[in-house]
Amino acid sequence: MALVISVLEQGMIYAIMALGMYITYKILDFPDMTVDGSFPLGAAISTVLIANGVNAYVTLPISFLAGLCAGTLTGIIHVRLKVRDILASIIMMTALYSVNLRIAGRANLPIYNFDNIYDNPVMNAIFPSGMKMVQPVVIIAVIMLLMKFLLDSYLKTKSGYLLKAVGDNETIVTSMGMDKGKVKILGLAIANGLVSFSGSLYAQQQRYFDASMGVGTAVIGLASVIIGMSLFGRVNLWGYTFAVVLGSVVYRACVAVAIRFGLQSTDLKLVTAALFLLIIVISRQLDRQGQRRVQKNLGNDKEEV
Amino acid sequence: MKKKIMMMSLSMILGLSLIGCGTSDSGSSDTDYTIGISQFAEHPSLDNCREGFLKGLEEEGIVEGENLTVEYDNAQADISQASIISDNYVSENVSLICAIATPSAMSAYNSTMNTEIPVVYTAISDPVEAQLADADGTPAGNITGTSDELPVKEQLEMIRELLPEAEKIGIIYNTSETNSVSTIATYEELAGDYGFEIVSKGINTTGDVEMAAADLVTEVDCISNLTDNTVVSALQTVLDQANKAGIPVFGSEVEQVKSGCVASMGIDYYELGKQTGKMAAKILKGEAKASEMNFETISEPSLYINTEAAKNLGIEISDDFKSGAAEVFDSIVVDEE
Repeated sequence: MALVISVLEQGMIYAIMALGMYITYKILDFPDMTVDGSFPLGAAISTVLIANGVNAYVTLPISFLAGLCAGTLTGIIHVRLKVRDILASIIMMTALYSVNLRIAGRANLPIYNFDNIYDNPVMNAIFPSGMKMVQPVVIIAVIMLLMKFLLDSYLKTKSGYLLKAVGDNETIVTSMGMDKGKVKILGLAIANGLVSFSGSLYAQQQRYFDASMGVGTAVIGLASVIIGMSLFGRVNLWGYTFAVVLGSVVYRACVAVAIRFGLQSTDLKLVTAALFLLIIVISRQLDRQGQRRVQKNLGNDKEEV
Repeated sequence: MKKKIMMMSLSMILGLSLIGCGTSDSGSSDTDYTIGISQFAEHPSLDNCREGFLKGLEEEGIVEGENLTVEYDNAQADISQASIISDNYVSENVSLICAIATPSAMSAYNSTMNTEIPVVYTAISDPVEAQLADADGTPAGNITGTSDELPVKEQLEMIRELLPEAEKIGIIYNTSETNSVSTIATYEELAGDYGFEIVSKGINTTGDVEMAAADLVTEVDCISNLTDNTVVSALQTVLDQANKAGIPVFGSEVEQVKSGCVASMGIDYYELGKQTGKMAAKILKGEAKASEMNFETISEPSLYINTEAAKNLGIEISDDFKSGAAEVFDSIVVDEE
């Protein structure tokens, strides 16, 4: 049971990061590697603040703002200095590595002895003692859903539609007299804000910051977005953002299944990759069947697809 | 509609396969133990730790395959992996978790916080810094183990004896490895006592090692290694640069001397593991509680010498000095790792 809870906890924390990746990768079509730096950025900021006695909840918006700045810088490097998208984000990611070390003051900072957003007198009073085990997972779910709905409602505003327009067809945005560069910077800022926010949640759940925490974040995020979109994108339950959330949980589950079935530890990543591939192939297969049926019925059941 | 159902069932299968085995019970008598070993990375020192750990348990009558089931997982230096590994052990309700290297120990401590499962760690340079123990050595929770703090003083003494003329010692370290940063501080504190000056170069990845080494060898009289995982992984690069410049490299443990360092006053990780295994045995048998045992360090560092490496650099090693060594290697053996 503890493993299932752990998968849900980590899956939903990483889901917020994946929502950020959804904005850059899916909406803006921007390969953003900044996340490898902005994820531990949020972690570093919140652990340092918590270790200095700042309330754990206060550190969440601060982490979000820090990520916002990081994303803005990536955007400025790309748009104003005209550096290629992936290169701009790699430059930012590299710089953030040192920034994170400076913020934390050292490579590894534990916060075992401090209250965090999951474990503090207020939350312990709200939750009955029998629910101790699921306390973090419930808190994470609430925060994650809140972020999801905030993002959903943002995407429905004028600014949100512009964001989608820039990803789909830049020319239209320009012909409307809008500055597509500004829109891109805004998108990157929001995305990295979410990633940094997720890093803060992660560091508090693990109760420590480590400089190497961010390695591979972009891969996890991309995998979550792709799994989510290909498995659940067509079902379209509560929007694409929810598909991304599910994708993140499924990705964590893949890792956990690989560990649980006691395969050779050296093969772990290979098994995770194989599960990942299997899911994508199966979902594509299902897609094809669906399309064939549509053709047969000459579009009679379009609604279902 | 059919598709929706298939999607759902696909995700259900994943979920159920986790829950299904989530309740697997060790279901054994009092004398049978199941332990989980969570190791952070694959590398000879840590592997030696694990083997020593099992040997230590064996010497106390807890033998793998007889009354002990061992689950072993390696996080491949991925922190999120380390935490899933220890969460998995908690869900299997193992009798004890052995955590090798700092990130694994921190994850294990975090995962077991609300349970009764004791954690025994090893290969941690500074348990106090990692907040796994208080400044006086008492455990922070139901967790104890052994530290691999380097015998810096003895290492400096040894270098002074082998190189009476040397002034500057070069050290390469990864700025994001906490253990290295704290060991450098100790080096700098003690170097003056032996008339040395420390020149350190910070790096971040194994890819940086070559440049740092090439730069360093022009400035110093010898290089001394830490237990820095990044630098140790690129040891051959360091040795190569040092040999070109004709200066010796001193290791931090036996494996490095085997593969070409001149000498080392270091830790035998197998022995460290064994000591840890004995502590774990006490906890498993109920003779002691992890929360009441202070962490331990290796009391006597051992000297290792590689005579071939010394000869190549024209360093004389007296027989008297050799007689104090735990092991003398007369050839350089490069492992296929």
